[in-house]
Amino acid sequence: MPTEAVQPSVTPAVRSAVIDLLYRLADDSVILGHRNSEWTGLGPILEEDIAFSSMAQDKLGHAQALYTLLHELGEPAPDANAFLRTTEQYRCCELVALARADWAFSLVRQFFFSEADRIRFELLSQSAFEPLAQLARKLHGELKYHVMHGRMWMKRFGQGTAEGRERIQTAINAVYPHALGMFESTAQDEAIAAHRIGPSESEMQDRWENEGGTVLSDAGLTVPKNVKPVYGGRAGKHGPELAALLESMQRVYRIDPNTQW
Amino acid sequence: MSTDTQWRVFEVFHQQSRGEPHIHVGSVHATDGESALLMAKEQFGRRQACVNMWVVPADAITETAYEDADIFEHGTDKSYREAFGYETTKRARAIGDTRDI
Repeated sequence: MPTEAVQPSVTPAVRSAVIDLLYRLADDSVILGHRNSEWTGLGPILEEDIAFSSMAQDKLGHAQALYTLLHELGEPAPDANAFLRTTEQYRCCELVALARADWAFSLVRQFFFSEADRIRFELLSQSAFEPLAQLARKLHGELKYHVMHGRMWMKRFGQGTAEGRERIQTAINAVYPHALGMFESTAQDEAIAAHRIGPSESEMQDRWENEGGTVLSDAGLTVPKNVKPVYGGRAGKHGPELAALLESMQRVYRIDPNTQW
Repeated sequence: MSTDTQWRVFEVFHQQSRGEPHIHVGSVHATDGESALLMAKEQFGRRQACVNMWVVPADAITETAYEDADIFEHGTDKSYREAFGYETTKRARAIGDTRDI
């Protein structure tokens, strides 16, 4: 598709801001989807295995849709974008790249991410960049389910056995600094808010802390205080986990990028 | 059995559109109704249309025994009791159901 025809009113400033935002959203989605898909066949019970895998598939679908919006703005095609970029070119937060660890860790990561994801796309459904607003409205139902799923488990573990509560609290404490890293701002943060493309990262973080924190408190779990966020991902500075993930995820595609699938 | 770590079984019913009857589609293991619904949504809701879902604890269902299936047989011709003669049934069939009676 020709790039300018899609959104004739997009100024260069808006375009840069939208592209910056879309890369962060798309990269978070594809990496989290890939990470969570590692649980397929290994989930603690059959039903949860299927539910968790299905949500991982949802995230890959969101990534595909977001990369498609990028392509319409003149960026590379979705497959090339996901499978040929290097670690440094990825703009995901570190939270999604971390190794899957134990079930409590992956579940808590998914819970923290979904809470932010739903708030973000709810606000993006009013975006001045109409293609993104339309997509946000389309994803509403899936994200609502992801939140219901996460909250259900937090409540069960918080109010269940001592062992369950301890393991989930340990995971919350370990994941929290990385979860705060979701809201690392970029140079485009002001432009994104000013052009009403989407919420600022500080607005996002306030709402996420408020809503997610309430879920945990209601479940009898403790929200960590005075935590230093882990930043770097939005600037392309990643730990070894992302490099390992991309090596695995991109290996087959890179054998022959021109193959027709 | 003390070694049984399985959760309770919930039978799952889905409704494909408002006004349609709920149809039994399978079962899930869960600790309670709310988590059963969330599990059932992914097991059974993702492959076809669904607007509403029920889960019912399997142990809440009272059933007949198959050896008593004969109680449903008619000893004499009771076709006069079947509902085919009613005007509403005929109209309903004229609207949407072309199957043979």
